[in-house]
Amino acid sequence: MSNRLPTWPRRGLGSAAGDPVPPRILSWHCAVYDHESSAQNTPVKGALGNQYPLTLCVLRTFHPARGGEAYGVLPGQSPRLGVVPIRTRGLVRRVIPFVGIAAVFAVAVGTGAPALLAFPLFLLAVLTVALFDDSGQLLAVGGAASLAILIITVTQLGPASNLATALFEIAVLGIVATSVHEVVRQAKLGEENAERKAVEIESIDERLRLTLEAALIGLGLVSADGHWVQINERLAGMLGHGRDELMHANLSDVVAETDRQHVEDALGQLERREIMRWQSDVQLDGAAETHIPVSLVIASVSDHHPSEPFLLVQATDISARKRIDGMRETLVAVRQVIVTANSWDQASPALLGSFCTNLAWDLAQHWSVEAERHDLRLQNTWHREGSNLEDFNDPARNLSIEVGGGLVGRVWQSGVAAAMDDLAGNDYEQASAERRVGLRSAVAFPLITAGTTIGVIELLGRQVRHVDDELITMLSTAGVEIGQFIQRCETAQALRRSEADHRAIYERSPIGIARVGGEGELLEGNSALLHMLEHDVDTMRSQAWPDLVRAYDQAAGRARLAPLLAGLPDQRSVQVRAATGSGRWLWLQMTATSIPDSSGRPEHLLVMVEDVTTVRETQDKLAEALDSQRGANATLEKLDRTKTEFLSIVSHEFRTALTGIQGFSELIRDGGIEPDEVRAYGGYIFNDADRVNRLIGDMLDLDRMESGRMSMRLADVDINDVLSDVMTRAS
Amino acid sequence: MAEPMPMDGVGSSMVLVADDNEVAQRLCRRVLEKAGYGVLVAADGLQAVDLALAQNPNVILMDVAMPGMDGLEAMRRIKAERPEMRVVIASAHSMASDRERFLAAGADDVLSKPFRLGDLVAVVQRLTAKPGA
Repeated sequence: MSNRLPTWPRRGLGSAAGDPVPPRILSWHCAVYDHESSAQNTPVKGALGNQYPLTLCVLRTFHPARGGEAYGVLPGQSPRLGVVPIRTRGLVRRVIPFVGIAAVFAVAVGTGAPALLAFPLFLLAVLTVALFDDSGQLLAVGGAASLAILIITVTQLGPASNLATALFEIAVLGIVATSVHEVVRQAKLGEENAERKAVEIESIDERLRLTLEAALIGLGLVSADGHWVQINERLAGMLGHGRDELMHANLSDVVAETDRQHVEDALGQLERREIMRWQSDVQLDGAAETHIPVSLVIASVSDHHPSEPFLLVQATDISARKRIDGMRETLVAVRQVIVTANSWDQASPALLGSFCTNLAWDLAQHWSVEAERHDLRLQNTWHREGSNLEDFNDPARNLSIEVGGGLVGRVWQSGVAAAMDDLAGNDYEQASAERRVGLRSAVAFPLITAGTTIGVIELLGRQVRHVDDELITMLSTAGVEIGQFIQRCETAQALRRSEADHRAIYERSPIGIARVGGEGELLEGNSALLHMLEHDVDTMRSQAWPDLVRAYDQAAGRARLAPLLAGLPDQRSVQVRAATGSGRWLWLQMTATSIPDSSGRPEHLLVMVEDVTTVRETQDKLAEALDSQRGANATLEKLDRTKTEFLSIVSHEFRTALTGIQGFSELIRDGGIEPDEVRAYGGYIFNDADRVNRLIGDMLDLDRMESGRMSMRLADVDINDVLSDVMTRAS
Repeated sequence: MAEPMPMDGVGSSMVLVADDNEVAQRLCRRVLEKAGYGVLVAADGLQAVDLALAQNPNVILMDVAMPGMDGLEAMRRIKAERPEMRVVIASAHSMASDRERFLAAGADDVLSKPFRLGDLVAVVQRLTAKPGA
């Protein structure tokens, strides 16, 4: 098939097969020389009709690899070297007819042959000349032949009879010669036209070829079944293969595996003429297992040759656009995640993923600065699906990096993003581990907030790649935004923790806490308050709380304190009696504190309500106990007093009795008294001694009565004796 | 009830013995008469006040625990009328606090029962001798 299709002449284009950039034509410098005058070095103004112009075309080309120097010569016809000089050859050609005519004339005159016999020979000579497109020569030769015929006829026969024949012969000669000459001239003109057309076509063809070659997009032709027919230099360079090599391949062979089915489907549709044009962004397989993103257009160009359909393939390298798109999309994705995520833990997988996906890296790792440990710790990783990096990015590896260690450590130290195009040629200490899993290139950028590096994100890829300044700039920007985001997250988290702590204190406090508005209404009450008073929120708000406020004001009035809503009751406590929802009565201690707003005016009150029922009951019991103790003490004191009194009475009785005993016995002892007196005194002494003895007996009886050992001695008693005795003693 | 007896010898000083106990009355009368004092005897507080104001004894030997008016009340009344009259409280209430109590109530001396006969005479002598000293 291919041999029937036009192929582009390749002569003269001096581009070496391996040159990645095709030469570009800058200008033509063209000079045309006439072959005859070339000896005099005189250029003629145009090509003569029957002479081929000797054209020498110097093609100046630009070749970036060769300093822009021109080279190559094209196109045009090579000078015809080694032929007989045309001047000599033309002279011979011009003389020969005359020589022939002269010879025939000589023979005819010599032999006396009639002119009729010589005529065909003359005709032959004239026809021969007529075949060349040279009117002058023909006229000269024709004239010479006519003259010869006329002379022969006149000399051999009678001039009158033969002159008519001779004139007829001359006329025939003239007509035949003119006709032949005209035919030859027409033929020559036709030939010239055809040749001019061919040159023109060739020139168009050449221009097309040059256009195709010079195109900045990859162009090619494929047959209906997808075979390459034509490939321009750009496309071949893009694919990283020689053209000859590609000519053996199919279009779908150069498409990356992921897009191959897609392209094959499109080719099928084009072949079935369901569509005339197909366009899509696909990946092509480049050299060294790279992928080139291209915008691929396949168009059917076979309208004029329905029997031989073929397709124009147009591939525009969009890797630069893709790269910029990728960077832009990465920034967009980063900002989106930052805006929507609540915490760094939530955001980090999405962020690392968007770096890998949009910028075509295989692995992303987030290292965070451990302030106390002075090193970097691997926090999160993300790897491309199917990249077999699961083991490599296991955070359990518990990796740490010190300041200045490796790429990541250096980025941390300097706070500036950095890259390694090829880990293979590097002393990066981790490089061995990364090379083992096939990672070849790396870039790392710092996460910065308030001028401090708080972490580093490292991107690793399996391809050797050049990281340009634009990417570094973009990653640095992202790093600052992420750093600020992390800072915000940490601040927000601390705030949330603090709020949660306060909330927990409020909610779980064993003390009831009520937030009270300016009108004394309950804004909020914690669960302890509701539980304490056994009310739900609504009842609490509508009934229990107003009751409680009234009780507070009454109690405050008794304690000469301001009511709850007057002034600023600060940290003053009153105790009130309040009924719970289930009818129990509680003692509540209420302490109010005013909470000022930002301008210092009291915005609302915080009232702490504490169930002090147990305390109050305990206090009451203690008071009771104290009272009863006091009573007991009084009894004891009374008892003590009674005892003292008793002792006093008893000792008084004893001493009274002893006064007589001692006094009279002293009188008797000292002597000098009458016997009668002694007897009387002895009687006194005896009576008092007896009295003492009875006193002792009574006391012992008392003791027996107290200890319950009193034994009753039953006997008849004269009551009069007892009474008179008592009366005697009482006096 | 003992009758008031005429004074004899010793400075013709008169001692009023106020005691509800008859044994104590007899003992005091016997000892003081022997020592040469005139002795009046009262059996309760009221009687002691009447006798003291009527007879103006030099020294009153006053028991405390007596029926009706007790000795302290009688002493207060007597002292109110005759502040110069010497009163010796002779009581069987013999605790330490009692002595202070009696002195504070205005007693010139306190004699605790039972007493030595010599002590009784010494107290009366000291009080009767005083105005003359």
